[in-house]
Amino acid sequence: MQGAVENPDQVIPKDDHILLTARDVTVRFGSVIALNGFTVDIPRGVIGLLGPNGAGKSTFIKASLGLIPRNGGTISVGGLDPQTQSLRIRDDIGYMPEHDCLIPNVSAVELVSYLGQISGMGPRDAMQRSHEVLDFVGIGEERYRLVKSYSTGMKQKVKIAQAIVHDPSLLFLDEPTSGMDPNGREEMLDLVRRIGATGKTVIVSSHILQEVERVCEHAIIISDGRLVRDGKMGVLMAGEEGLFNITIRGVPKALEGFVRALGGVCDIVEKTDEGTNQVALSARGCGDGRRVFALSKEHGVQVRGYVPDKMSLEDVFLQAFQGGGSRGY
Amino acid sequence: MGINPIEYRAWKGVRSAQKSRLYVIAKSVFRHKIRSFGVIALLALGFLLVHAFQIIFSVIAPHESLDAQTMYDYMGSGGTFAIFAILLGAVVTSDLISDDVANRSFVLYFSRAIKVRDYLAGKSSAALLIMSLLCAIPPVMVAIASMATQTGDDYSGSAGVLGRTAVAGAIATIFFVPYGLMMSSLTKRKSYAAVGTFMSFFVMIIVAELFAEFDPAWRIISPADSLAYSFSWIFGLEMPSYVDGWALAGFMTAFIAIPAAVVYLRVKRQVVG
Ligand SMILES: Nc1ncnc2c1ncn2[C@@H]1O[C@H](COP(=O)(O)OP(=O)(O)OP(=O)(O)O)[C@@H](O)[C@H]1O
Ligand SMILES: [Mg+2]
Repeated sequence: MQGAVENPDQVIPKDDHILLTARDVTVRFGSVIALNGFTVDIPRGVIGLLGPNGAGKSTFIKASLGLIPRNGGTISVGGLDPQTQSLRIRDDIGYMPEHDCLIPNVSAVELVSYLGQISGMGPRDAMQRSHEVLDFVGIGEERYRLVKSYSTGMKQKVKIAQAIVHDPSLLFLDEPTSGMDPNGREEMLDLVRRIGATGKTVIVSSHILQEVERVCEHAIIISDGRLVRDGKMGVLMAGEEGLFNITIRGVPKALEGFVRALGGVCDIVEKTDEGTNQVALSARGCGDGRRVFALSKEHGVQVRGYVPDKMSLEDVFLQAFQGGGSRGY
Repeated sequence: MGINPIEYRAWKGVRSAQKSRLYVIAKSVFRHKIRSFGVIALLALGFLLVHAFQIIFSVIAPHESLDAQTMYDYMGSGGTFAIFAILLGAVVTSDLISDDVANRSFVLYFSRAIKVRDYLAGKSSAALLIMSLLCAIPPVMVAIASMATQTGDDYSGSAGVLGRTAVAGAIATIFFVPYGLMMSSLTKRKSYAAVGTFMSFFVMIIVAELFAEFDPAWRIISPADSLAYSFSWIFGLEMPSYVDGWALAGFMTAFIAIPAAVVYLRVKRQVVG
């Protein structure tokens, strides 16, 4: 027994915080520049790779797997170069391509177990594991049918099953929800969440912001082959520092008095009437809010919400593309 | 998924089959091929038209020993043997790479830690195994049947011919596979690959015929003829005077090695890493 090595197939170290780094990566297809000096540090966790069509998401994933050559720059996956050390890292990586890629005239169990064996698992292990991951993704008795008879949603599930059959530490899922109906998307996102919960790093590409917002801990926004913004979800979506959203309730007269008084102590950016008895405010410079609460008592109104400003990923996205990206793109 | 979602479970096993990826591919291709209609039909027809008569003949016709000339006549002259080998070669190899590229399962193989070499070796060893069912095993069976029924007692001479038969069978098994694989790697359509393989042999045969009008030495560029010449050499018989042994060896080596190199480079290029 080797004591120190928990699992000899695990090449990607478990401890580093940063799992994947890309520096100035450039990938060209003829005259098209798919990645243009792309630089990013990707931590562990469930990571969203966001960008419009043609941004270079799939290209980045393929370059990280060593499936396409780089024209410049470096990529390191767990300290290894995917181009020169591809065989070592690929046993510890799972990849779900964006397009149809399944062998049509075999059944799902056979297909997944076959690919498990190609990943180096023994035939029995692979078969057993194939059933296990098909259970996990929710393919039932249909697993004995030929893959070509499957619906798009089922094919997506088989694609994810083949990516996890060998239990890799790092997963690349390229648009896992594409072509699925709302229920299917929900199931797929749930699978991503549950895989992520086991401590694997899952890099999910998507152009649907709400999806990423829901499952990812960290997001990378890419456009035209460049990094636009990246960061922890909370940080990315945090609004402007010191800006608070305040909701108050009370009789109209009291509300009016309160707003006037508040305007004297802090800077009201925006005011929206929400019916006759409620007002929503965006205010800056109200400090820790003690004065807001004191004023509300004074004027006999009720503070129903006092929260730091928060953006949706969509706002972040829009802001980034209007030239407001934190890195000055 | 239902009411009770199943949690993701890590796999605690050990990858015990790291070294046998090649064998996994070979086994899967072989199992698939041996059930396919085209392969079964060609094997059955080939067996009937090329081998069955010879087996019966070699048993019932009185013979003193296993005779090199008889084996050569059966395998080398006439061309049916070569035609079936060409047909089966085209059918067996046509989809091996083209299908993987067409349905993109190619990427599922190569996102895994498999070497291009192992992928190709896996695919081609399955093809070779199928080819041997037509090209190597039946001739060896014929030779054994003939030896078993020989009237004389020169068993060592017969054993020598048996060995030569096995070598000739092996060459016939290998000869057309790299070319077919090359065609399969050049297109996404298996039908194009199969027809392309068959047609290019056909063209080589025609070209050889045409040039042979001027100089019969050109006959070696017909794959069917060069195979036959190599058989006469293997069986220790006289080669036609116009055949230059070195040119023949050169052509046959090129016919195997160049396509093999093309396939390797083609696949390597598509896979990169
Ligand atoms: N094999 C290729 N040959 C030529 N151009 C390519 C190739 N692959 C990608 N491109 C180009 O590179 C750019 C980036 O493509 P990529 O597939 O990485 O985008 P993406 O972000 O994944 O988009 P999508 O959301 O549509 O999947 C695009 O302009 C695309 O046309
Ligand atoms: Mg893409």
